[in-house]
Amino acid sequence: MSLLEVNDLSIQYEVDDDEVHAVDGVDFSIDRGETYGFVGESGCGKTTLGKSLVHLLDSNGFIADGEIWFDGTLPQWENDRGEPRRDVIENDQYPVREDGKTDLAQLDNEQIRDVRWRNIALIPQSAMNALNPVYKVGDQIVEAIRRHEPNTSVEEADTRARDLLERVGIDPDRADDYAHQFSGGMKQRAVIAMAMACNPDILIADEPTTALDVIIQDRILDELDELQEEFNVSILVISHDISVMAEICDQLAVMYGGKIMESGPKAEVFQESANPYTLGLKNSFPTVKQEQSELVSIPGSPPTLLDPDPGCRFVDRCPFAVDECESSHPPMYDVADAEGGRRVEGDDEKSHRSACYRVDDLETMRTEASKEETWQAITQNH
Amino acid sequence: MTRISARYLGKRIVVSYITLLVIMTLLFALLRSMPGTFISSMITPEMQPEQIQRMREVWGLNEPLWKQYVNFMVNYQTGEFGMSPTNRVPVWDIMIRRLPRTLILFGAAFIVAYIVGPLVGMYLGWLRGSRKDKSIFASSLVMYSMPAFWLAWLFIWLFNYELGWLESTYMYHQFPQFEWTVVSTITNVLHHITLPLISLAFVNWVGVMLVMRPSMNNVTEEDYVFLAQAKGLSERTVMIKHAARNALIPVATQAIVGLAFLIDGSIIIEQVFSWPGIGQLIVNAVISKDYPVAQASFFILAVLVVVMRLLTDVVYTYLDPRIKFGEG
Ligand SMILES: Nc1ncnc2c1ncn2[C@@H]1O[C@H](COP(=O)(O)OP(=O)(O)O)[C@@H](O)[C@H]1O
Ligand code: SF4
Ligand SMILES: [Mg+2]
Repeated sequence: MSLLEVNDLSIQYEVDDDEVHAVDGVDFSIDRGETYGFVGESGCGKTTLGKSLVHLLDSNGFIADGEIWFDGTLPQWENDRGEPRRDVIENDQYPVREDGKTDLAQLDNEQIRDVRWRNIALIPQSAMNALNPVYKVGDQIVEAIRRHEPNTSVEEADTRARDLLERVGIDPDRADDYAHQFSGGMKQRAVIAMAMACNPDILIADEPTTALDVIIQDRILDELDELQEEFNVSILVISHDISVMAEICDQLAVMYGGKIMESGPKAEVFQESANPYTLGLKNSFPTVKQEQSELVSIPGSPPTLLDPDPGCRFVDRCPFAVDECESSHPPMYDVADAEGGRRVEGDDEKSHRSACYRVDDLETMRTEASKEETWQAITQNH
Repeated sequence: MTRISARYLGKRIVVSYITLLVIMTLLFALLRSMPGTFISSMITPEMQPEQIQRMREVWGLNEPLWKQYVNFMVNYQTGEFGMSPTNRVPVWDIMIRRLPRTLILFGAAFIVAYIVGPLVGMYLGWLRGSRKDKSIFASSLVMYSMPAFWLAWLFIWLFNYELGWLESTYMYHQFPQFEWTVVSTITNVLHHITLPLISLAFVNWVGVMLVMRPSMNNVTEEDYVFLAQAKGLSERTVMIKHAARNALIPVATQAIVGLAFLIDGSIIIEQVFSWPGIGQLIVNAVISKDYPVAQASFFILAVLVVVMRLLTDVVYTYLDPRIKFGEG
């Protein structure tokens, strides 16, 4: 059974009298112990998606629609085995389903605070600045532990904090240091250690390697991998860097303009890419690109998402666009069927799917997408 | 709490001491450049030239200037402020009587201003841009722009003249059959101190708030405040422990400037409320050309500023662990 099941989630930001459709009808699910990646250029709604799961959106942002079913519930709704109580499940007043999942989208401000860190720990995009400069690093971990486990003594929490630091390769004595005494990589690892403080079910890591040099990047990714094995935590990793995904993900979703363009098991999405946007994105990264000699980035930039046009979000930059693409955004098609030349919508969130009207013409797209001229033609069209 | 090193503290104390030496020198120079000498006020038209000459001698005015300077510096550091020509008592005696009164008023106003200012600034900065923020902010600006004495008169008119709740003059009242118990003394003083205190604190807390509010505003954008929220901490904890604690750092810097304003204000407020402290003394001494008293009063206020400055420095280093101690 999945740990997190997100249905038709839409997030908007209110700007003056308009809405920015930052995330638009997204479906995905994460299993226990799995690493799920969201990749896409900057401005595609990845951070918004991650923050919305625990209601940490900017004050003008809100969940416009959708459900976030999480396999777990609030402390006050649990029985001694940590499962939702019968009376809670049966009472319609609580957003708890028969299978024990709770809809996080329906929780209020007070309730979601109990889910944060205890169940879902979100490490923000600039984790290096996320340590409070005026408190000792160890104390900040102790604070997190005692917030969610008020019966833990300070000494006990402190021992755990030091142990956590040691696990991410930081000398436990450094718990008494302040953030400014740490290097960039150490701060990042300290925040990761802090995220594990309450043994969460899901760790959301937003751009965990951005702004770090390559050696430290590798170190952080290894760290995440090890923690995952040790704690059996699910990781939702967000990055604009497709090579990061290649290293650590099990499942991958490629996001563009607030929509998932392609998703599925990592190897399939990488090796049998079935969406023009994925193909273009791969072209622009050195480590994933194989046959081709030159790096080509997709001309243009992501749309603003302020009251978007009805067509495919990628239509302005897509070299394969046809008339149909202007009508509405494509649904998710099953890629296995598409390989056989059939265009059939796919319901299975875990299988390889692609949102593109031309999936039934995969061969052409794959061949053409590897040519530089294909992408340059777009610049000329605009 | 071993964050502050003895070396650092020692250094700050030496700097403070040098500052005071400079101030004393300036006071000495100022006194010599006044019209006449400080005994002018004691000279009456009927006096004989020999009498005047003897007076000059008694007051040390016939010594060479450098010797006068050395004497002055030595005397001032031993609390030897000379005699008041108008009162004919040692200046020290006057100071020792007046200083505690000023300290009570000044200290209370300082505490009130630096509690109210940061608190209001914290809330407004946290609610940034909301209607509540805008209206409270605007009304405090209006108060801030009023001259201190004007505000004081407004309070006197309202609470003393109209409502009759509070006294507007002196520090306490001597009734014929007054029993000086602890409680009665405190209520007696409270009746008198409240108006000058709020007048003084009112003008100054806004200055503190004006630093705290934008500081708080900036801090709420910080990633560590976001992380505190992500940890599931209550809004109160995030606001006070994570945001306000950091936003206070610039306030400690502001306190150094705020102090000067507060002392400035206390001279006016003491005058308006006939509060028998150093501020009132300065005004009286200047009017009656009692230069030794004026000089000593300025010196006492300078010591006050320097000591408070030293304290804010120490507080600052405690507030911000990024400051390297012992190297400052
Ligand atoms: N507070 C906000 N108000 C208005 N628009 C926002 C806000 N935050 C993000 N956006 C917009 O939402 C879209 C998605 O942003 P974001 O989630 O940060 O994307 P990503 O993490 O993929 O770079 C962008 O178009 C961005 O400009
Ligand atoms: S639906 Fe059309 S515009 Fe969108 S990616 Fe496919 S071909 Fe391009
Ligand atoms: Mg982002």
